[in-house]
Amino acid sequence: MSRFLRTATLVALGIVWLLPVYLLIINASKSPTTFTSTEAWIPTDFSLFANIADAMQLSGLSDSVVSTLAYAIVSPIIAVVVGAAAGFAIVALRLKRGFLWFVVIFGGTVFPLQMVLLPLFDAYSRVGLYDTHAGMIIVYTAISIPFSAFVMRNFFTGVAHNVFEASVLDGATTWRIFTRIYLPMASSALVAIFILQATFIWNDLLLGLTLSQSDNVRPIVTTLSGMQSTYGGAQMSTVLAAAVLVSLPTVVLFLFTQKFFSRGLALGQY
Amino acid sequence: MNSRRMVGAGIAALTAATLLLTGCSGTDGSSDEAGATTGTLDFYTDKAAWEPDFDELNAASEEQAEITLNTTGYSDAAQYDAFIKQSFRTQKSPGLFTWHTGDSLKQLVDEGLVAETTDLWTKAIDEGWATEGLRAEYTIDDKQYCVPMNIAYWVMYYNKNIFEEHGIEKPTTWEELDAAAGTLKDAGITPYYQTSTLFTFQWFQQLVAGTDPELYKGLSTGEVKYTDPEIVEIMDIWLDQHEKGWFSDAGSTVDPAVGLKQGDFAMINFGSFFNGSLDGAGMVSGEDYDMFVIPAVNADLGTTPVAVESGPLCVAENSKQKDLGLAYSEWWMSADAQTAWNAARGDVAFNPKATVNDPMLADLGTTVADGEHELFTRYFEATPTPILTVALEQFGAFNANPGDPMPFLEAIQAEADKYWADQE
Amino acid sequence: MAVLQTPERERTVGGLPEAAHRPPRRKTPYQAAARGFIAPGVLMVAVLLYLPLLWTTFLSFTEYNGLGDPEWVGLDNYVEMFDDPSFVGSLLNTLLWVAGTLLIPVGVGLALALLTWNLPGGIWLRLPFLIPYAISGIGVGVIWSFILSANGALDQALAMIGIADPPRWLVDAPLNTVVMIIAASWQGVGVNALLFTIGLQSIPKEPLEAARVDGATGVRLFGSILWPMLRPLTAVVVGLSIVASLKTFDIVLSMTKGGPGRASETLALTMYRETFVNSDYGLGSAIAVFLSVVTLVASVLYLRQQLSQKHEM
Repeated sequence: MSRFLRTATLVALGIVWLLPVYLLIINASKSPTTFTSTEAWIPTDFSLFANIADAMQLSGLSDSVVSTLAYAIVSPIIAVVVGAAAGFAIVALRLKRGFLWFVVIFGGTVFPLQMVLLPLFDAYSRVGLYDTHAGMIIVYTAISIPFSAFVMRNFFTGVAHNVFEASVLDGATTWRIFTRIYLPMASSALVAIFILQATFIWNDLLLGLTLSQSDNVRPIVTTLSGMQSTYGGAQMSTVLAAAVLVSLPTVVLFLFTQKFFSRGLALGQY
Repeated sequence: MNSRRMVGAGIAALTAATLLLTGCSGTDGSSDEAGATTGTLDFYTDKAAWEPDFDELNAASEEQAEITLNTTGYSDAAQYDAFIKQSFRTQKSPGLFTWHTGDSLKQLVDEGLVAETTDLWTKAIDEGWATEGLRAEYTIDDKQYCVPMNIAYWVMYYNKNIFEEHGIEKPTTWEELDAAAGTLKDAGITPYYQTSTLFTFQWFQQLVAGTDPELYKGLSTGEVKYTDPEIVEIMDIWLDQHEKGWFSDAGSTVDPAVGLKQGDFAMINFGSFFNGSLDGAGMVSGEDYDMFVIPAVNADLGTTPVAVESGPLCVAENSKQKDLGLAYSEWWMSADAQTAWNAARGDVAFNPKATVNDPMLADLGTTVADGEHELFTRYFEATPTPILTVALEQFGAFNANPGDPMPFLEAIQAEADKYWADQE
Repeated sequence: MAVLQTPERERTVGGLPEAAHRPPRRKTPYQAAARGFIAPGVLMVAVLLYLPLLWTTFLSFTEYNGLGDPEWVGLDNYVEMFDDPSFVGSLLNTLLWVAGTLLIPVGVGLALALLTWNLPGGIWLRLPFLIPYAISGIGVGVIWSFILSANGALDQALAMIGIADPPRWLVDAPLNTVVMIIAASWQGVGVNALLFTIGLQSIPKEPLEAARVDGATGVRLFGSILWPMLRPLTAVVVGLSIVASLKTFDIVLSMTKGGPGRASETLALTMYRETFVNSDYGLGSAIAVFLSVVTLVASVLYLRQQLSQKHEM
């Protein structure tokens, strides 16, 4: 397909994809007191900032920002490295029964998260991890590992094994080969896993709701979700404004990490 | 580096990262010493939207009872229930938590998990802080458990502008209500709100209790079957109204408060906590909207039945904060506390001596207590949970595709048969 | 747990200098090191995710309402589960989700990755598809309900172009499941596109150039070079899609709650309904176990076939 056609297709599809985002933003900007659902596509007024202020006040969002940021940064970093190490062990080091071990790690994702919650809550409150930052980091890390291991394992299979063998002949240790050759080579995959998992954690509701209680430990979306309720609570435009606000950091994260995916990684050189 | 050092390094890195963060963990000076009756009380609720109101109330409770609440809100009611049940087995057994009356409360009481509040109720009745009728909702085997957090009467809200435009007065009989609906429909306005998920029960509840309160009671005890001819007859009234086009589109997900504001429908049968949502949507109480008690279907009943819902505040029997929780509960029942609560969160008050700010809600409180109205327990609390789950789904399906009521009723009765058989 | 034991039956030296001097063709010279590298991952997953699973599996053989003690009932819950006609409906909806998710987000994701690949400005053109993933789930549920509501944003748009009597998007089954799959795809396509992009980037340049020199373009280039080389990442995307679609929960809960009636319920919702709404932990756990086994078997069958073809483990 020609360049022009490809660009045109992408632009057209992209516009369709952004329509719900457009609806989200213009409706988040409407004042709750004059809001109607009958003029969905037409911007009527601009109260976005007032709505955001309402949302912050209603949900106490600001208390959660720092700890949520910590979870969303620390956990995926640990998970990415742990997952890459697992992939490295299976693919480069040719761990015996590697597929079985891979399934063991991957199996962590097949179980519905809702059913993990109550036993985890019980265990956490017994060992003193309930409502602690450490507890949240640990659980978010564990949740992120299977995905990370899966992507890294498969990414490394695309790397010729003689890369490893050549390094061994140079006298490098496995640790060195892992940190100096395999990790740098995988930077686009590592970044992709990081941003996807960071976004997942930033937007997590279930774990935060069950394993924490204090305002300074609870993740941000957990505090936000309470705003919507039959028994009084925020109006739709306020909830949407809050969603816009909470989504900003992740959108920015996606924006700034795009350059990692812009260049082809010349794996052929290895 | 060999493999052991590798593992060691991994674990060390994990520990270091976590320790760093545990340093600033969330311990918040809660009063954990058993027996304390002043201090900070951990409070759990599924009414997360009320958290700011509870925080606002802290000034009054600090001053009058030296207790402040540390509120944790949950957004999903079903998961909240599971969390609370689980917490009884742990160190985190709650000092104060919101719950439901009816079947759910009885389950906890049967297991000995909730602190008794008989003394608090005796005092409240003596002081005139609560009514006997309300006490009955909190009584299991002659003892009381928990105290009322809120109370709501299920009434008909209406868009005042629409009513005035079409010269409709507040209906006082079932015939007048039907006539009003007919007039509205002729003018191209949908009379009633309905939905196909969750709040699907209220019209059924209203029709059954308004026809025969005993029949309604029979459903909740299993003596009356959903497939009995009386119930089928009532469903036919509902179906007839569906066929006349009296109900709003079941596929609409518009916030009901916004729907009433923009005239998607003229009336909505909802709990009296709905004032808050309507105010939030920009409608003015008494000016843009008003409410009336729904007249009984059967004019010969003598008293008009009104559905009432009450959400309890409970204290766990084995909580470290039991005494603190009970001290707060006692304060909570008082007229001062309820006046302060009403200032924080406008609602009807269960305490007749409390001051209610919104004149519409104050009127409602007086109306239902005038002797011509009879309170009955809302369908949600009156029906055992497994039957309720099926009933809400079936009424929702009925609203989405109204037709012969029998298959829907049979589905509910099948679950009811199973439930009552298990209770033998 | 048994899986945690890493028997030290090989030499314990495990150091690399010695190992490095072994002939490279020996198949498994780095087992001790390999175990060291995989151990943190296995440990964390086992402790935090497998232990709760054991508990749930135990509960699935009991009668338990969340209070008191679980009472052993053997296979009763499983019998009850398969007896319930709604369970079949729920299973069918779930399968519809699996099929739909493999078709739309995976297909469109691959198309996007190919379209943006080596395209100047490609990363910016890909961005609109990633933004939905960045938006908080609460916002997604609210905005799609708003779009698909009767007289909602979509119906209003249709009315503008003269379609006055649109379908009842969220009411009629299986249409409601289909539109929810589209809503979920809207959010998920960007992630798949991103993963496919990583796959495209890891393709070595030489064979590609060689194929181009041979005159391979378009479909032929894709079929002969790109598709086989994309296999590892295709396995990731498809594997994750199978798992995620079998567990579909959030979007259905926020948009139809499984209704009207139980028309759009998925297995995860049935599990939620029994466990949390009805406090029937035994039945809920049985559904969870069934769901997990199906998910595990489906993904292992798929992955074993996919992963063993080219790269032998």
